[in-house]
Amino acid sequence: MNEQEKRTYLEKYQEAKKKGFPFFPDIVFKDAVVSLVVFIVLIALAYFVGAPLEARANPADTTYTPRPEWYFLFLFQLLKYFPGKLEVIGVIVLPTLAILLLFFLPLLDQNPRRHFLKRPVITTAATLAVAGIAFLTVQAVRETPPPAEVTSGDQTAALYAANCAPCHGASITVPPGTNLHQVIAQGKHEGMPAWGADLSTDQIDALAGFILSPGGSQLFTQYCAECHQVPELVASNPLELKRALDEGLTYPPHANAKISDWSAVMSAEERSRLLNFLAAADGERLFATNCSPCHGSSVAFSGSEAELRALISKGGLHLEMPPWQTKLSQTEIETLANYVVDPKAEPSGKNLFDQYCKTCHGERVPTANNLEQARQIIASGRPHQTMPIWGDILTSEQLDALVQYTLQAAQGTSLATGPQLFGTNCAPCHDEFGEGGPNPSLPGDIIPPISSSEFLKTHDDTTLQAIIAQGQPDLGMTPFGTAYGGPLEDTDIEAIVAYMRSWEVNPPAALPPQAQPPASGGTTLSGAEIYAQVCAQCHGLHGEGGSGPALNAPQFQAANTDQDIANTISAGRPSTAMIAWGGFLTSTQIEQLVSFIRTLPSSSASPAVPSFAVDVMPILQVKCVLCHGSLGGWNAASYTSIMTSGNHVPVVIPGDAANSLLAQKLLGTQASGEIMPPSGKLSDSEIQIIVNWINTGALEK
Amino acid sequence: MVAKFANWLDERVSWRQVWDAIFLRKVPKVNWFYTLGSATLFVAVNQAVTGILLTLYYVPTPDHAYDSVQYITTQVPAGWLIRGLHHWGVSAMVVLVVLHMLRVIFYGAYKYPREVTWFSGIILLLVVIGFGFTGYLLPWDQKAYWATTVGTRIAGTPPLIGDYLLRILRGGEDLSAVTLARFFGTHVWVLPATLMLLLGIHLYLVIRIGISAVPKKED
Repeated sequence: MNEQEKRTYLEKYQEAKKKGFPFFPDIVFKDAVVSLVVFIVLIALAYFVGAPLEARANPADTTYTPRPEWYFLFLFQLLKYFPGKLEVIGVIVLPTLAILLLFFLPLLDQNPRRHFLKRPVITTAATLAVAGIAFLTVQAVRETPPPAEVTSGDQTAALYAANCAPCHGASITVPPGTNLHQVIAQGKHEGMPAWGADLSTDQIDALAGFILSPGGSQLFTQYCAECHQVPELVASNPLELKRALDEGLTYPPHANAKISDWSAVMSAEERSRLLNFLAAADGERLFATNCSPCHGSSVAFSGSEAELRALISKGGLHLEMPPWQTKLSQTEIETLANYVVDPKAEPSGKNLFDQYCKTCHGERVPTANNLEQARQIIASGRPHQTMPIWGDILTSEQLDALVQYTLQAAQGTSLATGPQLFGTNCAPCHDEFGEGGPNPSLPGDIIPPISSSEFLKTHDDTTLQAIIAQGQPDLGMTPFGTAYGGPLEDTDIEAIVAYMRSWEVNPPAALPPQAQPPASGGTTLSGAEIYAQVCAQCHGLHGEGGSGPALNAPQFQAANTDQDIANTISAGRPSTAMIAWGGFLTSTQIEQLVSFIRTLPSSSASPAVPSFAVDVMPILQVKCVLCHGSLGGWNAASYTSIMTSGNHVPVVIPGDAANSLLAQKLLGTQASGEIMPPSGKLSDSEIQIIVNWINTGALEK
Repeated sequence: MVAKFANWLDERVSWRQVWDAIFLRKVPKVNWFYTLGSATLFVAVNQAVTGILLTLYYVPTPDHAYDSVQYITTQVPAGWLIRGLHHWGVSAMVVLVVLHMLRVIFYGAYKYPREVTWFSGIILLLVVIGFGFTGYLLPWDQKAYWATTVGTRIAGTPPLIGDYLLRILRGGEDLSAVTLARFFGTHVWVLPATLMLLLGIHLYLVIRIGISAVPKKED
């Protein structure tokens, strides 16, 4: 447009204006009419159609077909024509180009003509654009199915949607080796609550399974949910789950159920996904359910990850199989041997197998290459596999998690050992969550919280480790590191520090209360009380010794005068956990202590007779019965079986603990075989109870 | 009395000059298509009023958004109407804005001397689209969540900057409380402020330059 054309336009416009109308009221009236019509239409839509509100957002429900608002549909449809790498054209290039063209339209179209028929290019382009957008929108409506009904019944998905999805979205990527159950139960990063208070353990397990294997939850809903609740199956034994899936209709509890043959309905991959959901690939939990009964809280293992994996997958050698020739007749052994080689050929062998072998072998009939070999093994016995072949039972994801966890636990860096160590070593003074309290060794002193964020921020790991290892002799904290005479290895201390660090991001559930000074001063404590609070930690509750020497031993009592003992308490022993207590205890208190220590030999020389039901059985129940139960061999489940069962009857000789196999095995003085339990020696006090019980006649009362 | 007050006020703020300039200006003879702009303005006001009323009850957190919207719809007196007007107002807005633009294109009204009016109009169009996109997530229902998931994923497709864009939009890897807060903030603060600024420019230019005449065959 040149200057002349501009001037002509402005003149013409002035004329048109003169011939026109005032804006008010003529034009305003028209505008008002149209606005009113629009408003009435809007009210009608609001009244008759209303603003839709679908179900609450459920990030876990990936079956939902997302559909944008209608005015974005054409863009949505356009993307379908640019698949894969071309997507960027449909998404970015075309829309940007369109907007730029539109924006710079006045600069691109310099034609002075204004009537649409005189501007065919623009008119055609605009018409085509409108038609194109309309076409794309119609196509999108026709091709997109209406939003699918929300699938109901997936309880775990609902649980996830309600609790996890608002922050985590549709899925969570979990680094391998994560202890997911613990993360959910205790919370982890900032802002994540500890769900342990709101959700049951089984629900947390289900969530862990859902997060690690989302497809498994759908399969559960599809195949199992009609009869089972999620928590019920999640809590069951992986061995049984695997069996139920593998055996399908022949699985005894499913015998009368109208179900499909799982191996036909589900692919191997789907079955493992379902198993991963039901027994989440969470190392700690798998360890707890599958390994802890025999191995305790961790397994000492120094090999590589691959070796451990192979060991777990193949199962291991543990119990000794007895030589059956001493118990069975020649024909019975023959029958069993035949049965083992080919169960179908010798149906009568099943009774014998059930009677003698099933307790250890379970349903799994061991295979032998030939009759001769089978006969020989049964007759003479030998070490053989009793650790299940986990490779057949667990999915590869579960195995991975289990291996990871076992290695971690073996290295002592497992988070689980931290709280445990803290509980036994630190909690007596610092309280369960490090909230502090009255200082037992420094009357009138208050131990400040060590779980506060101030404390943790101002103490780095090295400092904390040093404090734990060397103690704080001036404040009454004895050294805990082995290098300083304490009970804890460096790895233990690291685990404790790691546990304390977890408070930083995840403050302990119980708020550290403001510690109250003790109502009365420490001066009123008796010698026994002082001993229990200060000395028992190392010297044992009855002076039987621990990390410190035994005080009830006659040698100790004879070699030291009262003054010697008082001096040692007061000055301590350099380079040991025995710090100079003279700084904390008054001379009167030390005197009280000395006289209490003098009473120790008499009090422990005639220990109370341990009761079988109250003292002994609870220990056996927890530590022994898992393996020494109905599996064969010695049975620790009842008094009678303890006294009479097993291959080395009797294991308990009343009045003679030294020659009782039970005591020998616990103390590690046995002539053959390993110390029991395999997960590690019982505590001294537990062993003492059992030894005392045997020595006092091993009575059933 | 009223006239006296009007005079008193005029002496001080010269409102008559403004009134004359805006309402008594002469306008070329135009047809009904020329009402689309003011109809759009009307719906924009409708959106502002109903939107402000909605914020009195709406809570922009994943925990409460859905419940608060449900509460507005079912419990608040005339809540259904306010939300209905706001919801359908969006569609009306888009339709009217596009029709208004088509009128300008077909009548060649973007030409000299109204180029700047056109530029501001295109940015206003983008602002309206932005309103639609950010407002869609706020009810936190299935449709909101998944459509926004798809919509923001689209932003993540361009190479190099895609991931960055996606993270800016979502405030993280996934749709979360941060996304909702972000969309809400944009919807009620950033975009309205932009809209008012541009609308001011747009209307000023329309009044200052005058509305275009209907082109005749020979124009």
